[in-house]
Amino acid sequence: MVNQIKNSADPFAVVGAGYRTYEPPKRKKTFREKLKGKPIFSAALLLLIVLGCVFAPVFANHDPAGFYLDALNTAPNSEFYFGTDSLGRDLYSIMFYGGRTSLTIGILGAAIIAVIGTIYGCISGTLPNRADSVLMRIAEACGSIPTILLVLILSALFTGKNVITLSFVIGVTGWFGMARIVRSEVRQIRNCEYVLYARCTGGKFLYVMWRHLIPNFLSAVMFVVVSNVSSCITMESTLSFLGLGLPVDILSWGSMLSLANRALIMNTWWVIIIPGLFLVVTLMCITNVGNFLRKETNRKPSNL
Amino acid sequence: MIVKSANLWVRIAKRILLFVLCMFLLSTVVFFIARLAPGDPLQSFYGDALELMTEAEKDAARERLGLNAGLVTQYIRWLGQVFQGNFGLSFKYKMPVMDVIQPLVGNTLLLGVLAYIIVFALAIVLAVFCTLYEDRFIDKAICKIGTASYYIPGFWLGVVLVLIFSVNLGWLPSSGAYDVGMENDIGNRAEHLVLPLIVMVASHLWYYAYMIRNKMLDEVRKDYILFAKSKGCTRREIVWKHCLRNVAPTIVSIMAISIPHVTGGTVVVEAVFNYPGIGNLAVESAKYHDYNLLMVTVLITGIAVFVGSFVAQTVNEEIDPRMKEMESIKW
Repeated sequence: MVNQIKNSADPFAVVGAGYRTYEPPKRKKTFREKLKGKPIFSAALLLLIVLGCVFAPVFANHDPAGFYLDALNTAPNSEFYFGTDSLGRDLYSIMFYGGRTSLTIGILGAAIIAVIGTIYGCISGTLPNRADSVLMRIAEACGSIPTILLVLILSALFTGKNVITLSFVIGVTGWFGMARIVRSEVRQIRNCEYVLYARCTGGKFLYVMWRHLIPNFLSAVMFVVVSNVSSCITMESTLSFLGLGLPVDILSWGSMLSLANRALIMNTWWVIIIPGLFLVVTLMCITNVGNFLRKETNRKPSNL
Repeated sequence: MIVKSANLWVRIAKRILLFVLCMFLLSTVVFFIARLAPGDPLQSFYGDALELMTEAEKDAARERLGLNAGLVTQYIRWLGQVFQGNFGLSFKYKMPVMDVIQPLVGNTLLLGVLAYIIVFALAIVLAVFCTLYEDRFIDKAICKIGTASYYIPGFWLGVVLVLIFSVNLGWLPSSGAYDVGMENDIGNRAEHLVLPLIVMVASHLWYYAYMIRNKMLDEVRKDYILFAKSKGCTRREIVWKHCLRNVAPTIVSIMAISIPHVTGGTVVVEAVFNYPGIGNLAVESAKYHDYNLLMVTVLITGIAVFVGSFVAQTVNEEIDPRMKEMESIKW
């Protein structure tokens, strides 16, 4: 298709080089080309794992809460696909049910971090310089204490842990970095005309935040939110492994691994390797998907 | 805005003031959470013997441990004692907290400092290597492997290493800092440190190497590189002698902010390898609701982290005058 004559009504249209440039006909992108550069493999794998966890009862071939006492520490075989642990539970079935808990904590924790971090960051970013620096210093001071120690102290407050309290503990201790990033984004856009206009016409803080600030930094922060999901899952499994998270009877990938010490004595590798592999693969997939959301920085060619 | 003081000592004094404030806040929060937490401290102090005690005996015990007074009174009393170096009794070990902690500090320091040095030495070498071979296959491969290693949870890597190297191959010990009676045997200690160090390095290395690599990649795009090249410097010379020097202040500030991260890493690693250190103690005391002990371990780690960060920041400002001008937050 030859390009239409530009501005044909304009009597002074320049005719010469560049006039009627040839534009190759636009071909529809094939399905394959559309997918190029996107983390298809990770997304598919992640989808598979998530679906497996959502429809756990379909995939599980044993009772996840059942103790098969005649088959303790069985190596993977045709009946127990991933073997059994030292309590006689079928690892294959627990895997899907445990994934439900782990993913829930990951998402819930990341959501709590996102909410607290966004609100704190927006407040700090829109305040005058002095108050902003005080708020940021507080967040910095809290953030400079190792997260695991904060979690240890806070987890003392809850004796009987469940999914909700654990994600609360993880979320409350993890938002400092998020707040810092949100705040620096807000500082960049807080003097834009539309924000000033909204504030002049009487927009309340929450309104401005919801309508003007969040939509503008959402794309920059999305990557952080996604990678928070994986760090929350890691934190949950670490805590459960240390015996400070979920008890063994609440199934999760972390609480499955809390039997690892016993498995070391019995030298039953499948109890350690298989849940861990699931965990690592999930974390990697989430990271790959998250990296796709990250803005690519284009570098000019190297001088070296 | 406060007028910026060029004097080093004034800045240090401000830092110290801020540090005291931070420590006060930290101790307050830790104290109140520890006291408000459920679970009877008497239970953890006396264990099963508590069932046999009469009410009067329990009251006397509370009085003796100072648990009877109001929360605020307790807090003030505790603060006063802390200034005299008395951190109270550990409920689990039934001896002064400091006595429990003292022998373990060295172990943790050894592990943490060694890991810190190895992580940054390797990170710089890796970053320079990646810069020299940017976008080649080897750089891409290192990036992929690095990202993967960063996302493997530290505790799991530890358990897998124990499974391979000590349970199945029997090459290295799986737990502790030294075998019984071989406390001063350097070889024995080194053997026990190998696996924990591998885990520490693997789970921290890439995060920092990647940061330094990115910084270096920005640096090699500057104009002075062209000049150095036209002078006839080799690529290696340019990167090692020119770029690395210019990036050094950034590396120092990365090292400063990495202190809490690495310290947090020691907690998990110590717990996995049952290494007698502060981190392991913190996990144990959280498990057994020994709040006094937990409080002090957290405080000590907090102090170490704050001091480390402040020293690094001050050093950083001294070696790079640009940092002073960039310092936008003033107190």
